[in-house]
Amino acid sequence: MADVTVIGRSAFVKGRVSGAGDLHIAGRVEGEVTSTGAVTVDETGLVAANLTARRLVVRGAVRGDLTADEAILVERGAKVVGDVRAPRIAVAAGALVRGYVETAVEGVGRANRAAATATRDKPKPAATPAVTARAQAPAREASPPTKQSSPAPSTASAKADAKAAPRGATLAGKRKVPPAPMVPALKKGGKAVQKRR
Amino acid sequence: MASTVIGAGITIEGELTTDEDVVVQGTLRGKLSAKDAVTVEHGGVVEADVSGGPVAVAGSVTGDISSSDRVDLQNGARVIGNVKAARITIADGAQFKGAVDMDV
Repeated sequence: MADVTVIGRSAFVKGRVSGAGDLHIAGRVEGEVTSTGAVTVDETGLVAANLTARRLVVRGAVRGDLTADEAILVERGAKVVGDVRAPRIAVAAGALVRGYVETAVEGVGRANRAAATATRDKPKPAATPAVTARAQAPAREASPPTKQSSPAPSTASAKADAKAAPRGATLAGKRKVPPAPMVPALKKGGKAVQKRR
Repeated sequence: MASTVIGAGITIEGELTTDEDVVVQGTLRGKLSAKDAVTVEHGGVVEADVSGGPVAVAGSVTGDISSSDRVDLQNGARVIGNVKAARITIADGAQFKGAVDMDV
């Protein structure tokens, strides 16, 4: 109780909030928030300020940069528009984040930060529903090559496999000559089919 | 529990507006307006004009205090500024320098 600060639901703070101790924001804050303790933005919290703290938990709406020395938790229902930086960051499903996100490994953090500022002007992704969406993005990028090459060997004979491999490898070749459909190939080799019978 | 609390380690520089009550244990500079009770606890420092419902001061206030209800300057309080309220009490041991306006 002693060091806990609460900005109540109906409270509106315009200016700078700074100091030590935990801070709960359930109202509106405009300006700047700096604390060496934990800062929590509750469901009803509405913050238009840069938040700097040891630890940040966001359940409400924040427009501004979030920086924490330890961790940032963006929980379900939260809306964050701004850059998010901390050694550990968790974004729950159902949270909205729009901005640059950086989880830093100690020591590597500064190098990353320099690179980050260089690449920051890239178009920011639209409000993404949580980490899961971001995690899927690289997976999608990686998947097309495997899709192109994998169906052929799985259904083809040894000869077809040998043909399909170079096609899969060079995208240009593949575009010009689409992969020979496997079922017609079997039909064409009528002899082979007859022999089997 | 009060709806808005400024904890002992916290400093707010700017304006604090609320419809509910406020407890100040830390430091507030700027302006404080509440529609409900305002309490400045021992150790709390307010360098601002204060307006609210019932105002109780045990800490330090520099600025004018205006209340729709009552103002209590408790033992240990240190107030520099004008006080305007329907009812005012100044406890023994409270330091006060300013004008009092009681709507006579």
